[in-house]
Amino acid sequence: MIRARGVRKSFGSAIVLDGIDLDVESGEVVSILGSSGSGKSTLIRCMNGLEKLDAGSITIDDFDVSRPKDLAEARKRSATVFQLFNLYPHMTAVQNITLAPIQVLKRSRAEAEAAARTLLDSVGLGARADAYPAQLSGGQRQRVGICRALAMNPRYLLLDEITSALDPEMTAEVLNILAQLAKNGTTMVFVTHEIEFARTISSRIVFLDKGQLVVDLPTEEFFAADGGMARPRISQFLSKMRKD
Amino acid sequence: MRYTSFTPYDFVLLAQGLGVSLALFLATSLIGLVIGTIWAVIRFYRVPVLTPFIAFLAELLKNSPVLVQLFLVFFGLPALLKINVTPVEAAVITLSGNTAAFIYVIAVSAIESIGRDQIESARVFGLSRWQVLHHIIAPQAMAFAVGPLTGLLVNQLQVTSLISVIGVVDLTKIGNILNLRTLKPFIVWTIVGGLYYVTAKLVALGGAMLEKRLRAHTAWKGL
Ligand SMILES: Nc1ncnc2c1ncn2[C@@H]1O[C@H](COP(=O)(O)OP(=O)(O)OP(=O)(O)O)[C@@H](O)[C@H]1O
Ligand SMILES: [Mg+2]
Repeated sequence: MIRARGVRKSFGSAIVLDGIDLDVESGEVVSILGSSGSGKSTLIRCMNGLEKLDAGSITIDDFDVSRPKDLAEARKRSATVFQLFNLYPHMTAVQNITLAPIQVLKRSRAEAEAAARTLLDSVGLGARADAYPAQLSGGQRQRVGICRALAMNPRYLLLDEITSALDPEMTAEVLNILAQLAKNGTTMVFVTHEIEFARTISSRIVFLDKGQLVVDLPTEEFFAADGGMARPRISQFLSKMRKD
Repeated sequence: MRYTSFTPYDFVLLAQGLGVSLALFLATSLIGLVIGTIWAVIRFYRVPVLTPFIAFLAELLKNSPVLVQLFLVFFGLPALLKINVTPVEAAVITLSGNTAAFIYVIAVSAIESIGRDQIESARVFGLSRWQVLHHIIAPQAMAFAVGPLTGLLVNQLQVTSLISVIGVVDLTKIGNILNLRTLKPFIVWTIVGGLYYVTAKLVALGGAMLEKRLRAHTAWKGL
């Protein structure tokens, strides 16, 4: 499981995460909602070791991301999909996907490539396996980004607004894949502004506000009139999101 | 001294001079490339003490005339350290150091041109700093650097002519000798200049070809 305890993070004098406690169990899909600047990306970046915590701890299957020795193992167990894809532009789709399996997991090239092509097939990109990122559409790039994460056979997928750089049609392409993954029991931490989609795939919803985790509820309860919606801050946020 | 006109043997002389210039150019470019790249890698790892020292050294080398550096190595070092420095040694040391400084600058900006986001994603996937340098940064930095590098090397080829001053028998020195013997400066220096020109063009051509290959992945952007 992913376990965050008392996570604090500031940039200069701005407190961005203000004591976050969060557990994500195997098989759960936890969506993180919250307005812009509430600290969602920072929380994900603390989970994958891109930001140092000021206080508190995050462990992934008991490997503490703040300890350099543990971080490597924590990173093997989780994989991140990025908002702006962050593909390696000088590598083809297959090369993007196989780099870490070959270098980090020490798989053979043949084995890693076969797995990458199977993954690409499964997201409808079998024919584009040898294309460079610049030759792909945004939706296709993000599907490669997802394959790159899945190729590590991670126990946890960390997804930070992975559709917000895409137009609606491409967003649907990518969300379909996530729905499939959720159905197969993949554990996901899913930062999103796609409220309706979050509602369909999440087992739990957490709401971040000014660096504090103000609500952590099962999806049903979160959207129930006498649950999360009873809180002004959340109903406000949801009605604003739905208008956009 | 008796003045004589050109003989077929002069072509051999010119070829020898060109050979010396080329050999020094290639050797010092290679040494400079290795040293400059190592300096840039040290900077990438932010090695304490060494990093600022290298930055300072590169500044010194970039901002003083090569001829002065050459005199310092050829006349200054022997006087200071009581050692013997031959003209060729002085030429190799000076030109390598000078090239290294400029290659360092190119390599640093090439490394810094690679987007942070790619480096972050590679790190998150568990690649070590070295693996990121090797698989993500180096290939793209090379594609970025080939252009400026080619320009630098074309320039460094011309700079090798300075070493004739301390008695290395390079192409320029041969030109000098032929000129004094034949008293036909226009012909001699046209031929010598032409030889430098052709060599420089070959270097530029090689660079352009390499750049095209290394940039294969961006050639598709228009599609
Ligand atoms: N590297 C940084 N340096 C300084 N401030 C930062 C840095 N990263 C984030 N911040 C600040 O921290 C706050 C939270 O940022 P974060 O990116 O986590 O928000 P978010 O919830 O992901 O927002 P969005 O929905 O817009 O993506 C913001 O005010 C932001 O300006
Ligand atoms: Mg964000």
